[in-house]
Amino acid sequence: MAKIVAKSEVMGLVAQIESKVGDRIAAGDTVMFIESMKMQIPVMVEDTGTLREILVKVGDAVSEGQVVAILEE
Amino acid sequence: MNDQPKTPPKAEGWEAELDELELRRAEAQKLGGAEAVAKHHAQGRLTIRERIAGLVDPGSFQEVGGLTGQGRYEGGKLKSVTPAPYVMGVAAIDGRPVAVGGEDFTVRGGISWSGDRKKGGQGGFIEDMAASYRIPLVNLIDGSGGSVTSISRRGHAVFPGVHGFERSVELLGKVPVVSAVLGTAAGGPAGRAILSHLSIMVQSTSQVFAAGPPVVERSLGQKISKEDLGGPALAVDLAGTIDNVAESEDACFAMIRRFLSYMPQNVWELPPQTPATDPVDRCEEELLRIVPKDRRRPYDMRRLVELIVDQDSMLEIQPTFGTAVITVLARMNGTVVGVIANNPMIYGGAMDVKAARKQAHFTELCDCFHIPLVFFVDVPGFMVGKDAEAAATLREGMRAVYVGLQASVPMFTVVVRKCYGMAGMGATDKNGIDFKIAWPSAEWGSLPIEGGVAAAFRRELAAAPDPKTREREIEAELRAVASPFRTAEAFGVEDIVDPRETRPYLCHFIDAAQASLKTNLGPKPKYGVRP
Repeated sequence: MAKIVAKSEVMGLVAQIESKVGDRIAAGDTVMFIESMKMQIPVMVEDTGTLREILVKVGDAVSEGQVVAILEE
Repeated sequence: MNDQPKTPPKAEGWEAELDELELRRAEAQKLGGAEAVAKHHAQGRLTIRERIAGLVDPGSFQEVGGLTGQGRYEGGKLKSVTPAPYVMGVAAIDGRPVAVGGEDFTVRGGISWSGDRKKGGQGGFIEDMAASYRIPLVNLIDGSGGSVTSISRRGHAVFPGVHGFERSVELLGKVPVVSAVLGTAAGGPAGRAILSHLSIMVQSTSQVFAAGPPVVERSLGQKISKEDLGGPALAVDLAGTIDNVAESEDACFAMIRRFLSYMPQNVWELPPQTPATDPVDRCEEELLRIVPKDRRRPYDMRRLVELIVDQDSMLEIQPTFGTAVITVLARMNGTVVGVIANNPMIYGGAMDVKAARKQAHFTELCDCFHIPLVFFVDVPGFMVGKDAEAAATLREGMRAVYVGLQASVPMFTVVVRKCYGMAGMGATDKNGIDFKIAWPSAEWGSLPIEGGVAAAFRRELAAAPDPKTREREIEAELRAVASPFRTAEAFGVEDIVDPRETRPYLCHFIDAAQASLKTNLGPKPKYGVRP
């Protein structure tokens, strides 16, 4: 099973988590929103997969490029 | 012609000379020899002759200096020639002449070669030809410049700049220059890659750096692969040293041809107008849905631009660097335009150091070649925070603003959503007629209402029984007055348009501004000191 990582493109705070472990997520879908510069920036996955692990919780600070969730193809 | 003789005329005693010419030309075609060429191919790279053939119009290449090289003689008779490691000449791209040349890596790794006159590289014949004929220059770079072996060959060390970049710099204000890094480039060739209007490298087969891994290890003790040191992930995506990356050499040649299709031959001409194939009055319904009502939610700015400009007319410059701003060459009703659009997906479109550098470069490119600019604005201001300040966002941001204020091409501003602060001002035509239109989703000010209320109404909020509720009430009151329609009443913005009407509206004014461009041709000297 190939591992897919979802990364935050921006530094900010986790605002809202849209999915839960076990969900099937299609390429381009949003896993969570990061609040940054007064905007809620979506974290989208590049490949379709099943969500295996969410590495952050609402309110956590994330850095640019940080892996926030792991999926499996 | 019909009256050509069917058999070639006799050489009238010049047979030996013609045979020698033929031999010398044949030697040039061999490049560094079959073995070196096979090794080069095995690395997934084309030879310089294959590169030129792949780039230019079929049959259009006329080589210059093909006889240059090192002859080997036996008893005074020529036996073979090792060609100079640079192939160049004049050719055509889309029927328009270009100067094209590149290092031949199969001959001594494409290092500098010293004849009476340089063929290529900085100060070479190719640069003289591009400057004198006022035609675009395409550098197909695959070499590392000088070598310390030249010290023993010459008997002395050359002073830096003996073959300087002065001509390369002059060219940047006169004709389009495109550089493709097609192998490992260091030193002079790497420098020339940067001295261009568009630089491209190829995924997996090209690297670029000031100095390669052996020098880095000797200088810093740092062990690093050449891909990690200068591959596209670093040189294009992270550093923006090179503008674009292509998947293959053929894709790189297609990108060069595409880029030149937007460019005039030189700064004394206007960019080529193409027949309009996309109706001016094409109004896309999707534009009405693209901006979410929730102000905190971003949207796809690339898609927005795509829906407005002529279909299939976009070429994005630096797509993976400084991604808070999107810079695109495109056409509107067949006329070339430069699009600068903020990307709300990256820090809400806030201008950071990289976006500022990118916007400044693109603005200069368009100004140099008389290409009107269209801004699609959604910028909350300069990026904030300690990291941004440490990176000199304020200075780089103001530099982008300064470059915009020195530009003299017509600019059109479309405020899609946020337009705040100095970065917002940098997206307007203050030197021209300051023409700004807005979508109903637009909002603007010297700073956003959120946050601004907490500072401006501190005492009132502190005295309120529920400061948070009062803060939201004041924000709502101010937001109602800050409606873009109120500003339009005061003619503080020239128009509010239905998003679907954006294309026809812009096309009318871009067409109308063409006459002014014709009166401002030629090089554009820039005075003053950039911040």
